[in-house]
Amino acid sequence: MSEDLTRRTVLAVLAGGAAFLVRKANGQIVWQVNAARCINSRLGDTGVEACNLCTTECVVALSAVRAVNEYAKCGRCNICPAYFNISSAVNELGQPSEKLCPRDAIARKPIGKVDPEDPANNFYEYIIDEEKCDGCGKCVLKCKEPLGLGSITLRVRYDRCVNCNECAILRACPQNALVQLPIGQAL
Amino acid sequence: MSRVPQALVLLLLLSQAAAAQAIQYQRPVDTAPQADSIGGGYKVPAVQKPLPRDYWLQVLDVVVLGAAMGVSVWLVLKRRSRKWLTALTIGCLGYFGFYREGCICPIGSLQNVVVALADPKYSIPMVVTATFVLPLVVALYYGRAFCGGVCALGAIQELVVLKPVQVPRRLDRALGLVKYVYLGLAILFAVKPALARDFLICKFDPFVGFFRRTGAPHMLFLGGGLLVLGMFVGRPYCRYLCPYGGLLAWCTRLARRGVTITPDKELDCGLCAEACPYGAIEDMRAVRRDCMYCARCYASCPRERGVAS
Amino acid sequence: MEYRHVQVIDGKGALHGIAVDSRGQLYAAGDSGIKIFDGAGRLNARWATARPALAVAVAGDGAVYAGELGRIEIFDGAGKLLHTWRDEKLLGRVTAIGFTQDSVLAGDAADRAIRRFDRSGKFLNNIGKDNPVNGLLIPNGVVDFAVDAQGVIYAANPGKHRVERYTPGGELLGHIGRFDGIDPAGFTGCCNPTNVAIRDGIYTTEKAGPRVKAYDFSGKLLAVIATDLFDVNCKNMSIAVGSHGRVYVVDTVKAAILVFEPVTV
Repeated sequence: MSEDLTRRTVLAVLAGGAAFLVRKANGQIVWQVNAARCINSRLGDTGVEACNLCTTECVVALSAVRAVNEYAKCGRCNICPAYFNISSAVNELGQPSEKLCPRDAIARKPIGKVDPEDPANNFYEYIIDEEKCDGCGKCVLKCKEPLGLGSITLRVRYDRCVNCNECAILRACPQNALVQLPIGQAL
Repeated sequence: MSRVPQALVLLLLLSQAAAAQAIQYQRPVDTAPQADSIGGGYKVPAVQKPLPRDYWLQVLDVVVLGAAMGVSVWLVLKRRSRKWLTALTIGCLGYFGFYREGCICPIGSLQNVVVALADPKYSIPMVVTATFVLPLVVALYYGRAFCGGVCALGAIQELVVLKPVQVPRRLDRALGLVKYVYLGLAILFAVKPALARDFLICKFDPFVGFFRRTGAPHMLFLGGGLLVLGMFVGRPYCRYLCPYGGLLAWCTRLARRGVTITPDKELDCGLCAEACPYGAIEDMRAVRRDCMYCARCYASCPRERGVAS
Repeated sequence: MEYRHVQVIDGKGALHGIAVDSRGQLYAAGDSGIKIFDGAGRLNARWATARPALAVAVAGDGAVYAGELGRIEIFDGAGKLLHTWRDEKLLGRVTAIGFTQDSVLAGDAADRAIRRFDRSGKFLNNIGKDNPVNGLLIPNGVVDFAVDAQGVIYAANPGKHRVERYTPGGELLGHIGRFDGIDPAGFTGCCNPTNVAIRDGIYTTEKAGPRVKAYDFSGKLLAVIATDLFDVNCKNMSIAVGSHGRVYVVDTVKAAILVFEPVTV
């Protein structure tokens, strides 16, 4: 008898707690990289190596962080320092001979009125293949001002992120560059 | 020379220096070429914004959780079939373990619930609340059906039980208290303010590394070690470490139904007590709060197998 | 040729463009208007412009032209406003001003072109727009050019890593320079040179590894004037060359003008 009462009390407590939590529920909170703090994309800190903690620390096998090119902010340059390794020797086309991305994740195609003869005469769109990119940050560092225009930043991709309670990357990040935001703001 | 004019001169010089400091070099990027400037019919492509998992799939997880617990109750209490229960165990290990990669789980969800209750600025989606509450509600009526065949961490340990030894009762009791300590610590660290908050259960989940097929070496070793131990000491994490198991044990005390060794029918052969790897049968009676819903007792009972008259 | 760094002039506020007149006076365009420094670096005069001044140039008659967003303001040597040329479309963002015998040239960064006007402000023609990319390749937001004594316009085309030569009518004559990330004779990075000045040679400034270089008119590198004296985040460093070969370069981060002198061997 009293067992019934206690069970009902516990049930009531659970139901009440659940109702309280459900009423409070307001959409998903997700992790996102704060580009103003990330050392690969924030101004200052020259002469640093690209920080790849996003690649190594993420609990997902191939990190949930990707380099994302904000097309509207991209300079569409022929010699892109994020695409090419501008410290490599120049080939006969007048371009650097090596590409920067170790996984060959950036592709480029000429846009606008295309001049097939002279590559220097075109604008180029730089597209990052998210299947290949692992968020190592090398291109992000080279795109940073003043060398580039800062259109490439590291971003968490939500079709890959498992949304841990405590982001393992944040735990390792010396700049505390991961923040939690409502999904609408984070995208 | 008196001090005051000197100080004034210094102040004047310092203020000049302050005015001449470096100009901030933060620039909004408004110099990138726009579509009309590039010409040739070019349109700026949209930047991909990949969305997280569909909401209905998250709801499906909760539905599957509830359904699996229902099936577990039916298989253990009604059908009393170890074979089908093992099938359920493997199925849930596959779904909640390797497909969902062990996240979100009711064990970890207890931290989220605690934070949501303690921090007015923190809220959790409804599916998380449901994931936390459902196994407890089932435990209130039928006992630890969640542990029996549904929990992925339990499932992986369940499947490695080889030659379980009976842990001496006092040791079993003492070790069983450790999970309440863990529960207390998990709650303690969850109620801390945001920056100091630590999600211990997630951090020390020994099996998530197997589910994700990648993980920190020390956690993989711990998980492997627990599995090796689990071959001989049945489900060590569940019995001695799982904080959610502590909550389930409390709820199970109030359950009216559950695994029962019926007094007037038992033979006193004690085969069930030997068969139970979890020390849940004492004095020929089921100790419901320790019962992991594995149905080994039924499988070993001669009456159940229709052998004895 | 060697250069030595002789002086730093504090710009007293954000600086964008500089020019030097025949008397060695230094004109600086900045957010707060136009400032005039004498040869020793003392501030002689200053006046405000209607909008932040992005470029400055001194005509033969001493008139000071200030390039701004949407307009050019013309002052006399004392700072009295003489004329304003307003045109949001043709003078969207004037980042450089130059003169030929009979015309005024304005570099419009909003349209990536150089505009040519007659002395009264009537638009004559565009320079640098007659190509498949609709203008000079300017990802940095600054069009810079210089005019030599023969009226040939030397325009920095950073996206192509070259300095191009145009007639005042807009015809492309040729170019010097090429991309090279290793050889200092080339222009490195994504878009360099950002700024250019002409005197007895072609003087260029680059960003991202900021440096100042001097070339002869055939494109041969004469000197790397400075590499590590600027703040590393400098961009679009305006340059002017005075008589005696003195080179003035703006450090846009520290808001200062660095002065270099050729070392006569």
